[in-house]
Amino acid sequence: MAELSARSAANVASRNERLSGLLSRVALKDQAAFATLYRETSSHLFGVAVRIVRESPTAEELLQEAFVSIWHHAASYDASRSQPFTWLNTIVRNRCLDWLRRRELQTVQLTTDENEGSSSELRADDPTPEEMLLKGADAHAVRECVDELDAGPRQAIALAFYQGMSHAELAAHLRQPLGTVKSWVRRGLEKLRRCLDRAGFARG
Amino acid sequence: MNLSDPARSQRLEALAAEYALGTLPARTRARLARAALGDAEVASAIRNWEMRLAPLADGVVPITPPPRVWKAIVARLGMTAQSPSDTSWWTSVALWRGLALAGVVIAFALAIALLAPTQEEPQQPIVAVLADKEGRPAFIASAQRGERFMTVKAVGVATPGSGRALELWLLPTGAAPRSLGVIPAAGVGRVTLATPVETALAQIPALAVSLEPAGGSPTGAPTGPVLYTGKIERMF
Repeated sequence: MAELSARSAANVASRNERLSGLLSRVALKDQAAFATLYRETSSHLFGVAVRIVRESPTAEELLQEAFVSIWHHAASYDASRSQPFTWLNTIVRNRCLDWLRRRELQTVQLTTDENEGSSSELRADDPTPEEMLLKGADAHAVRECVDELDAGPRQAIALAFYQGMSHAELAAHLRQPLGTVKSWVRRGLEKLRRCLDRAGFARG
Repeated sequence: MNLSDPARSQRLEALAAEYALGTLPARTRARLARAALGDAEVASAIRNWEMRLAPLADGVVPITPPPRVWKAIVARLGMTAQSPSDTSWWTSVALWRGLALAGVVIAFALAIALLAPTQEEPQQPIVAVLADKEGRPAFIASAQRGERFMTVKAVGVATPGSGRALELWLLPTGAAPRSLGVIPAAGVGRVTLATPVETALAQIPALAVSLEPAGGSPTGAPTGPVLYTGKIERMF
């Protein structure tokens, strides 16, 4: 287990080094580096987008916009402030979340059941948000932080993070009062913060 | 707002956490994003939370986007079509296949270069013919064992245009190109090697010439299109 974590950490570090190099070349408008960056990251980022917006055509459009923005703003990427993978992920996540929350303002609240699985890309055997949470935590040796969470908060955080669920959607999906899921999310995040910061995340 | 107010910083922390997680409703989300533009404390609270949660994104199972996404990006940015599956041009299968296909023309040009050496250019043992995509030779690079330079002779009509330069690159297997410097578009040029030719060209299967801004690539990596490529033939 410790060995697995060490290997994962080394993989993460070498990926970040490679992506940093690509981003600095993209900042100088190197088209070949941009193509390589796309090849190396687009599947992961599309996986992120499809799960949050739950519709493939929208996910495609948002991924396209994200890469156009990466091309224009690669120069503003600051390696001393965030890892390149974090930076790319954040650009895509924020675009998807902005789109999702804006749409909720404009439309009648859809039930989560109608929404689920509407993307043809998501197969029936797609891992659950909780499985993704554990996998992500393992890749960064922060599994114990996720394990520390109680079942309710853990499920709520996983559904919100990977599927972009709002408080109301979480309440409907988990069949809990809105106040309960809100406090699960809040308390779960506080607990995660204490543990992740101990583990050395979010320094500077 | 009072920045030192502990209640305020606690509230900011909670908002930033839910911003990064994605659970904030649209209006609050937009308000916080606007606040981050003018308030470094807000921006850093959000950034810290994005960094904390980022590792979790690694749990996502990748899904390959359809090819039309890349085509649309390229079209929107007005780029020359680059295939993302080509990775970098110097590792692309197309490049190496092109080198193989151009072999006949190259062999012919090599024969001319080697059989008809002039007085000033004695026969040299390491040669590469740099040809365009159609296999038309443009430069012949040659080097003498033990020497620390390479001679590059223009044999085609290369016209980089004003404000542009041609830059010569070593293409090591599995690594990024290394610049040998800018070469003249006509006549005979000379590029310096860091070590004697047999070590400088060890593990280097090919050379390439790219189009760069005057003075050469500002980045240390090729930035413009690759005009000519050639396999290194060892004659000793």
